[in-house]
Amino acid sequence: MFSSFSSFYEKARNKEIVAGLTLISIAVILNLVFGYFAMFFAFYLSFFKWDYIGEMQFVGLQNFEIVIRDLIRGLHGAPYLLVPFYTGLKNILLYTLIVVPIQTFLAIVLASFANQKIRGQQFFKVSYFLPATTSSVIVALIFIWLFMKNGYINYVLAHVIPGFEPVDWINNKDYLLFAIATVAIWGTSGHFMVSFLAAMQAIPREIYEAAMLDGAGPIRRFFFITIPMLRPMITYVVVMGLIGALQMFDLAWIMAGANGGPGGAGYTVALDIYNEAFTRIRPGVAAAKSWFLFAIIFTTTYLFQKKYGRAMR
Amino acid sequence: MTPKEKERLIRRIWIVITYAVLITFALVYLMPFIRSLVASFMTWAQASAYPPEWVPNPFTLENYQKLFRLDLFPRWIRNTALYAGLIVAGNVLFTSMAGYAFARLKFPGKDVIFSALLSLLMIPMFVTLVPNYIIMYKLGLIDNIFGLALLGIVNVSSIFLMRQYFTSLSNEIFEAARLDGCGPIKAFFYIAMPLAKPALGAVAVYQFLGSWNAFIGPLIFLRSPENFTLPVGLSFAFQRSMWTEYTPIIAGSLVASAPTILLFLVLNRYLIRGIVITGGKG
Repeated sequence: MFSSFSSFYEKARNKEIVAGLTLISIAVILNLVFGYFAMFFAFYLSFFKWDYIGEMQFVGLQNFEIVIRDLIRGLHGAPYLLVPFYTGLKNILLYTLIVVPIQTFLAIVLASFANQKIRGQQFFKVSYFLPATTSSVIVALIFIWLFMKNGYINYVLAHVIPGFEPVDWINNKDYLLFAIATVAIWGTSGHFMVSFLAAMQAIPREIYEAAMLDGAGPIRRFFFITIPMLRPMITYVVVMGLIGALQMFDLAWIMAGANGGPGGAGYTVALDIYNEAFTRIRPGVAAAKSWFLFAIIFTTTYLFQKKYGRAMR
Repeated sequence: MTPKEKERLIRRIWIVITYAVLITFALVYLMPFIRSLVASFMTWAQASAYPPEWVPNPFTLENYQKLFRLDLFPRWIRNTALYAGLIVAGNVLFTSMAGYAFARLKFPGKDVIFSALLSLLMIPMFVTLVPNYIIMYKLGLIDNIFGLALLGIVNVSSIFLMRQYFTSLSNEIFEAARLDGCGPIKAFFYIAMPLAKPALGAVAVYQFLGSWNAFIGPLIFLRSPENFTLPVGLSFAFQRSMWTEYTPIIAGSLVASAPTILLFLVLNRYLIRGIVITGGKG
């Protein structure tokens, strides 16, 4: 096969066209199958009832109806077990609302502290970035132990906050989602801090020097120079953060379990899609739910970029 | 106090605050690693003591021995290395080929195909997950690490990174090669590839981290425990031993994250630069 290709290639009148198409062929074929075909198949699948083995049965919009019914019932206060999609959606929106602002803010603050003439900048960068290089599964496993009732985190909090009573973070439905959010913030903020640090080092020194001559202190310089100059990077980090947070799966799977833990407090939309496809064996409903997730991610990131991304260009 | 002295004092206070904040957060970020490293040499009775203890007494290697006495743990290491190796090799070869073609060659439909590939980046993985499971099932590739690797072997963001890099190279060397009668494919292997070492390195490291740590893909496409990768294996091992001892899981977590941590400690300057260029965390 190879020799026949090479003789064809040698004889070809326009080698560049043959070479170009050949070099991209593997990338294009694989992405055509696992990207585009899969996407259209997901669309097709969302109109069918199926169990992977038997005949596919056309059910029209029934799968979407199941999702919408779930949402309406949830809004009317149905118990969480009956409304998995609503529970997952509610949790993941709250989670995103906690994680994205805090991780972005923390990343900016740490980057601006580190962006000074100080010793050990490399040490701080490495320390903050280290969690981002570790698998979220491993991070979650370690944090379950740290979050135990007689674990290290309760010990530290009891010494830092006066009157703090140890909490059973993982097994208490009021705290589980906050525990997961804490791990997520710990795991990603350092990664974004490095992005911010790079963007800050690209800001021209002269702007800061001019402001210093005008008597602006470090805090005013931070709010009136650093933040506006970082706007494109902030938009980027928030959008990446939104995409990651809304699809959160690994941490919830380990820390809460596939069923979302006590009171479904750690249940997410991604877990629900997984359960729909592989536990309840309803791939059609899973496909419909994944389109809802896509719509949510697309609208939130689109709205954010429309509102704040303008200054990018 | 003269204004100059006052300014110097403020500057000094500010430096102290800076270090206080940076060191506090460095401790917060490093503490889980330090704490688990210490605890991995403790018995579970000591590791779960309250208030926490810091010196292993007795110092024990039992937790690590337990791990390696299991047949599955070394297998999981091997599987993860195989999976990561396939992903890295595939991405280095195939995405540099595609990136070179998109950057340097002229062929019909180039721009359309490239933007079609890029727009796949917008699709959340959960949309294609179930269909890909079905495709893999029909191909008989469920529970097969090679099948799983097929899904990630040409990553679109790697193609993008390689194309950016090849576009930034100067034209002259390629012109000279062409005048000497070097065809486009030969130019790729003998000129473009050797010049692209920094970008190839970034793609390799980046894909290694991603595939070594991958969870959802291996969880769904691998079925039998002897085919699991480390993250999946550890998550199931944890579920089974949840109510007994935790220290072997901590030791296992450290062993599993050792390659990525070491890689990062050795290559951190390089990697951080790569992450800054590519942006996201895949």
